[in-house]
Amino acid sequence: MNPILLEAVLVCYAFLLLLVEAFNSRMPRRYFGWAAVVGTTVVFFMTFFVDSSKMNPEAGYYGFYAADTLAILFKRFILLVSVCVLIMAIEFAPVLVRYLPVEKPDAGSGEMYSLVLFACAGMMWMASAQNFVMIFVSVELVTITFYVMVAMMRGNRASLEAGIKFLILGAIATSLNVYGIAWIFGTLGTTELPEIGAILQSIDSSLFPSLLFGFGLIFAGISFKVAAFPFQFWVPDVYQGAPTPVTAFLSVGSKASAFVVLMRVLESMLSNSELSSKILFMLSLVAGVTILMGNLSAIPQTNFKRLLAYSSIAHAGYLLMGAASIVSGNSGPAIAYYLMAYLISNMLAFGVLLVVGKSTGSDELVHFNGLGKKSPWLATALTLAVLSLAGLPFTVGFFGKFFIFSSALQAQQFILVGIGILGIGCGFYYYLKVIRAMFWLPASKEQSISSPIEISKPYAVMLILLSISLIIFGVYPEPIFNLIP
Amino acid sequence: MDIANFAEASATLGHYLIVSGLLFGIGLMAVLLRRNIIILFMGVEMMLNAANLSLVAFSRFHPVGGGPAVDSQVFLFFIITVAAAEVAIGLAIIVALYRAKQTMHVEDLDSLRF
Repeated sequence: MNPILLEAVLVCYAFLLLLVEAFNSRMPRRYFGWAAVVGTTVVFFMTFFVDSSKMNPEAGYYGFYAADTLAILFKRFILLVSVCVLIMAIEFAPVLVRYLPVEKPDAGSGEMYSLVLFACAGMMWMASAQNFVMIFVSVELVTITFYVMVAMMRGNRASLEAGIKFLILGAIATSLNVYGIAWIFGTLGTTELPEIGAILQSIDSSLFPSLLFGFGLIFAGISFKVAAFPFQFWVPDVYQGAPTPVTAFLSVGSKASAFVVLMRVLESMLSNSELSSKILFMLSLVAGVTILMGNLSAIPQTNFKRLLAYSSIAHAGYLLMGAASIVSGNSGPAIAYYLMAYLISNMLAFGVLLVVGKSTGSDELVHFNGLGKKSPWLATALTLAVLSLAGLPFTVGFFGKFFIFSSALQAQQFILVGIGILGIGCGFYYYLKVIRAMFWLPASKEQSISSPIEISKPYAVMLILLSISLIIFGVYPEPIFNLIP
Repeated sequence: MDIANFAEASATLGHYLIVSGLLFGIGLMAVLLRRNIIILFMGVEMMLNAANLSLVAFSRFHPVGGGPAVDSQVFLFFIITVAAAEVAIGLAIIVALYRAKQTMHVEDLDSLRF
C-alpha cells in the first residue's frame, strides 16, 4: 500500500464525518466521536501494511514526502494520541456543550471529532515532511485547526481568551518561520532538506550570517510549537483555557510532531560541522533555560492544569537537550523513546484531570484533596502518571530521562546534564504535591467530591491500558526500543 | 533589453530586501506595541507579506535556467492561501470574543492568570 494513502484516507474520512454531521441533526453527536475512533484505529492498522518499497528515500514524491521508518513510527504514535484524545473528547462533550451558545442541547459538539482528525492528518504530514514548503503547510494545518479547537467553548471566557492568545502568538511564530524559510531559499536556492544538506557540505563561510539568520527564525517558529524558551509564554494560559482533551492533544501530539521536524532540519545541517556547532550551541542554551524556566515556574502553581503546562515546558527542555546532543548519534532514538513515555504518562494525567475537573467543575489542586479516599483507582492512576512524569525508576518516564541523559553525556554536554538533574529535583517537589493532595490532605466539605467519580466503561479501559503500559514499559523497555530505527 | 536585465538595472536585490525587512519590522512593532487585537492581526499579516516580497525578489534575482525560480513563487501562493485561512479563523474568534466581552483590547484579556 502506498504510504500517502494513510493521510488521504484520514482526511477524506474527516470530511465525510463533517458533512454527515452537518446534514444529520438527529443522530446523537457522540456517535460521530466513536466513528472517528474507529476510523483512526483503521488507519493505525493500515500503517502495518505499508509497501516497504515505497518507504526508501529514493521513492520520490517530488522531494516533498518521506515515508521512512521514523515517519511511520511517528505516524503510529500520532494516531494513538488521536485515539486517546477522541475518547477523552467524547467523555468531555457534556462540559463542552454547556459552554456552547446554541439552542439544541447536543448541537455544536460534533465538529470537534473531525477537527481532531484534521489535526492528526496534519501531524502525520509533518512527520513525513522533507521540504520547507511541506513543513510550512502541514504545520499550518495543525496550528489553524488548533486555533478552532482551543476556542471551541465559545461561551467560556477563558477558552476564548486562550484562543485569542494562541491565535496572535501562533501567527507571529508562523511569520517568523516563513521569513526564515524565505532567507534560506534566498541563500541556498532550494527548500528541499536533503538538497540543503548536500549544498551545506561545501559552502562558503561568508554566507553564514544569512544562513544563521534564516535557521534562527525557523527554529524560533519550531520552538513555539514545542513550547521552548523564547516562545513558551503562551503555554500556561492556552493550556489552562483550552478544553482538556485539546490541551492533552496540544501537549503530546503537537510537541511530538514538531520534534520530528526539528530532528529532520537538524540532520540536514549536520553535514556542515562549523554551522551545526553554532546552531547546536544555541539549542543547548535554549534547552537549559527551558528546563530551568519550566521547572521553577511550576513550583508555586495551584492549578493542576497550569502545573501540567509548566511541566510540559520542562519536558520540552529535556527533549531539546536530546536534540542538542544529536552529534552523539543515539539522541534520535532517545527522543523517540522519551516522547513515547511522555505520551503514556501525560495522557494518563490529563485523563484523570478531565474526569475530576468534569465532576468538580474546576482544575484547581484543592479539588484533588481526598481523592485517594473517594476514588482510589483514579488516584492510583494519577499517582503513577505523575511519578512517571517525574522520572521515578520502574515507570516508563525513568527510561525516557535515562536515555536522554546518557546521550547528552556522550555528547559531553556536562553543564546541560547538571541543569537537567536540578530540574528533575524541582520536578519531584511539584509532582509530589499532587500526590500529597490526593492522599494526605483532608477533603473540606465545599471543595471536594462527595461521592466516587463515575466514568464510562471505554474511558476506564483507556485509563487502565495506559496505566498497565506505563508500568510494563517501565520495567521492560525493549518492545518500544525495538520499534525505533 | 529583456525584463530580467531591466529589473537589475533599476533596483537590486538589496533594495527589495530592505523594503521587506522594513515591512517585517513595522509588522513586528505593531504586534508588540499596539493594544487593539485587530491591529495586532494586521501587523501579523504585514510580516507574512514581508516574507512574500522577499520570496519574489529572491525568485527574480536567482534565476534557474534563464527564468525566475518558480519554487519560491509556488511557495508564495501557499503562504497567501494559509494567511487567508488564518484570517478567516482569526476574525471568527475575534468576533466571538467581542460578543462575549464587548472588547477589542488585550488589556481586558485577564481572566487567565495564577
